[in-house]
Formats: sequence, C-alpha cells, structure tokens
Amino acid sequence: MTSTPPIALSDAPPRGWQTTGLLAARRRLRDRLATGLSWAATALVLVILASILLSLLLKGLPGLTPGALFRSSAPPGAHGGLANAIVGSLEQTGLALLIGTPLGLLGGIFLAEYGQESRFSTLVRFVSDMLLSAPSILIGLFVYLVIVAPQGHFSGFAGAIALAILAMPIIVRTTEDMLRLVPVSMREAGMALGAPRWRVIVFLCLRAARGGVLTGILLALARVAGETAPLLFTSLGNMTWSLNLNAPMASLPVAIYQYAGSAYDDWVQLAWTAALLITAGVLLINILVRFGFRRGT
Amino acid sequence: MNQLPSSMSVLHDAPSTVSTDIALSVRALDFWYGEHRALKAIDLDFPRRQVTGMIGPSGCGKSTLLRVLNRMYDLYPGQRATGEVVFDGRNILSPGVDLNVLRSRVGMVFQKPTPFPMSIYENIAFGVRLHERLSRADMDARIEDVLKRVALWTEVKDRLRAPAAALSGGQQQRLCIARTIATRPEVVLLDEPTSALDPVSTARIEELLDELKQDFTIAIVTHNLQQAARCADQVAFFYLGELVEVDSAGQMFTAPRQRRTQDYITGRFG
Repeated sequence: MTSTPPIALSDAPPRGWQTTGLLAARRRLRDRLATGLSWAATALVLVILASILLSLLLKGLPGLTPGALFRSSAPPGAHGGLANAIVGSLEQTGLALLIGTPLGLLGGIFLAEYGQESRFSTLVRFVSDMLLSAPSILIGLFVYLVIVAPQGHFSGFAGAIALAILAMPIIVRTTEDMLRLVPVSMREAGMALGAPRWRVIVFLCLRAARGGVLTGILLALARVAGETAPLLFTSLGNMTWSLNLNAPMASLPVAIYQYAGSAYDDWVQLAWTAALLITAGVLLINILVRFGFRRGT
Repeated sequence: MNQLPSSMSVLHDAPSTVSTDIALSVRALDFWYGEHRALKAIDLDFPRRQVTGMIGPSGCGKSTLLRVLNRMYDLYPGQRATGEVVFDGRNILSPGVDLNVLRSRVGMVFQKPTPFPMSIYENIAFGVRLHERLSRADMDARIEDVLKRVALWTEVKDRLRAPAAALSGGQQQRLCIARTIATRPEVVLLDEPTSALDPVSTARIEELLDELKQDFTIAIVTHNLQQAARCADQVAFFYLGELVEVDSAGQMFTAPRQRRTQDYITGRFG
C-alpha cells in the first residue's frame, strides 16, 4: 500500500530569517509589554525597599552611639540606651528557638517520615499551617491566658513561649518540605545496608536536607526577632536592666513601639536606632541563611 | 575477607537443611502489589558463589524478585509475598526475621548510584558501624580492603575525606558496591547496576563481578543481554511475572528451550 503525503512540505516558500506579518508583530509587542511590566514591578519593590533602608540608616545611624548600645532605658533627657532591650531580645528569641526548634524538627520529621498521608498527619499539617498564618497578637493573647494570667505577672519566659509558638510552624513546614526532597533511593540504600529507620532519618535524610532545614530555622528566627504584638501581652517590656526571665523583660520591638509613639526627641531617636538594629540583625541572618544554604547543597 | 561471614550467623535458627552449594532458594513465591499479582509461583535456586543473571522485558517481575530477597518491599504497605525464600536454613519471609540482620547478610546495589551525603570514608563506615564495633585501625583496614576490591583505592586514597558526591557516576557506583560488601554479606543483589553508567564504567563493574563471585553469591538484574551473557553463570528469563526458563548462560543464549525465551533474546519483543 503506497500513500502520498497530503501536504508536500517542500512546496512551502522559503522562509528566511525575517519574521514578518501581523502575528509576529503582535507577539513582539506582547513580549515587550510583559518584559516592561516585570521591570517596573521589580523597580517599584526595590525603590520601596531602598527608601526604607535609607531612611533607617539616615535616622538610625546618628543615634548608634556607645551610650545607646551599653546603657539601659532612662527617662526622657537622661541619656538612656537600648542595652536592656537588646539583651532582652537576644534572650527571648534565643530561648524561643531553643524551645521551638526541637519541637518543629520533630513535627516535620513526623509529617515527612512517619505520618505521611495518614488522617492524623493531615490534621497536624492543617493546624500547623493555620498557626503559620495566625495573627501573632492572638498567640500573645493565648500565652497571656495560659501563662501570664495564672502566674499573675508578665515575664520574659512567657514572651519566649509566644515567640516559640510562632517559630514552630515555620520550622515544621520547612523541615517536612526539605525531607520530602530527599530521594526515596537514599532511604532505600540506607535500609538495604541494614540500618534501622531512625538511623536512616537522622544520619542520612536530615543530613542530606540540612541546608534547607537550617534555612527554615533561621527564617523562623528572622520572623520572631521582629515580633511586637505577642510580646506586649507576655513580656510587656521593662525600663531597667534585667536578665530575669521570670520578670517583665524589655525587647527591641517593644522598645520601638514605646519610644516611637512618645513626644520626646531622644526617645524617638532611640526608636530609629532600635529599628536599625533589628533590620541589620535580620539582614545578617538572611545573609547567613544564603551562605549556609549554598554550602549545604 | 577470607573468613565466611556466616560464622557470625545471627539468624538464630536451625542449621542449614539445603544443600550447601545453594545460597538462596526460592520456592512457590507469589508477589502482590495490592491486587496485582506480579510474580507467579517462582521456583529458583541461587548457587553459592555464582552469578545469577535475571533478564526479561520491563515489568516482568525480575526487580520485584530481587526486592523480595532482602525484603525491601517491606517498606511499602500493600506489597506482600507468599511462599518461601530459604536463606541459611530459614524462610526469610516468615515473621520474626530481623530485617536489619537479613539486609546485612543480603546486600543490595541499586540502579542509580546512591552516595550518602558524607565523605567517601564515612559512606563505607556508616554501614559497617551498624553491625560491628571496629577500632579505628580495623575500620581503616576494612575500608582500604573494600576500596581495593572494587578497584577504587588508587583513585580515592588521597581524598577519603572528600564528599562522595564529588566522584563520577562510575566511581560512585563502585563506592556503593564497596559499601555493600563492607558489611560482609553472603549475597549481593544488583538491580541494573550499570544502566546509568557509560560503557567504560560498565566494563569495569562487569570485571568486578567476576572478582566478587569468588566470595559472594551474586544476583543481578539486567536489561542488557550481552551483559548477562558475559557475566552470569546462570540466567533466568522472566516474562509477565513467570519464570520461563533457567539455564546456564551458554545454553540460554545459544539454544534456549522455550519459544518465548528465543523470541526475547533474538529481539522479537521486549
């Protein structure tokens, strides 16, 4: 059975390199339009970001004196500083990560390795994701009801718990996502050597995913370092130097909240400096994240 | 590695009843992926210190059989095997078999090289540490020994602490073989170990198989009929979940007894 092709392709006129006609022109126009819009959107974001950073630097840097770093809060005009707020922030976010990281890691491991698609883990995943997007002030209120009210006083510890609750779902999600990226073949290879499951998870899967898991922890840190609302209901703030986690405790976000709204120039100046410090800290963390991620992968 | 690892027999059971020149014996094996019967009444012996090649078109069940022999399928709910696989006098399909011990005695190498995210040295030490407590010197010696056996030692001896992922694909696969034999298994299962490798690396792995069968019983799944002809002492042809024919490689590739075998090896299907 012989058949002739319905269309002889060789009969088409030679095309050459020039794209012509209405279709080509319309495509070129759309391409330019889309490219232009992308550029414009990028520029807009960068301008906003740059203007925030620039005004922070311009207004915060003049106040970045040894006095601001090493002295505690003082009444207006008495040359107070941010030392108590800096230490309070470090202490509370540090403790929050100490609590939130192991819980988040274990949760993420459970979801990725053990629970997988079971009904229970679907529920856990849903609740965790809800927590991820819950307004942080609600978390503050929750900790107020559970810890502050029964104890009868505000405390840095309560603040750390509130921040830990905020950090946990971030770590759960990134840990689960990163573990799911570890190929099945790696797990099988580990099991094929006779390794028990927990060893495969801890020494192979977590190890393979360590870059991404670390990124999640640092992202959580960056997120909670700037939280104000949950601290207002838990650690409240403290005008004096205090390392006591069982007492009200100062923090940079709360200091900004208090100082920025005041009528005193030196307090407003401290608020700018505090804002600069947090931003620089978060920026530093983000740079560390990228560095760590590149080395981890 | 002159000593037979069976001296550390941990599958605590009666002494071997099968004849000693059979390492693994499969009897009336059925395998199910859920409702799908992937293996049908398989009977197959794996002679000790010989290479058994398993061939057949995709989906014929040869890899499935391999994954039964170290009970890899156990990782996945819905997969089950019935029948018998006798290894060292015991049916390994029966409940109560310590899978970690079984897998240390029946090792497996996969299609794609699977280096662990750690150094070359640690890749091998990881498996050894699961089952033995060795001094530093003994561990060093074990690692040197297995790397020499897979002909990788001269290439990596100066960078044992370098990440294994930096090796080439062929080197990674040889490292995976080294890692597997470092736990001193009696049987080594290879699931298309060269299908992701270039011809030169493939040739080196094939040479290696000849070496390894001095000490290990080898079962290799391959799509490459020439490879089966070159490496295997015994060849088993699978088709649609059935074991069609088992014979010596010479017999199988020159005068197969079954029509289906002949059609497959002459390229009429598959």
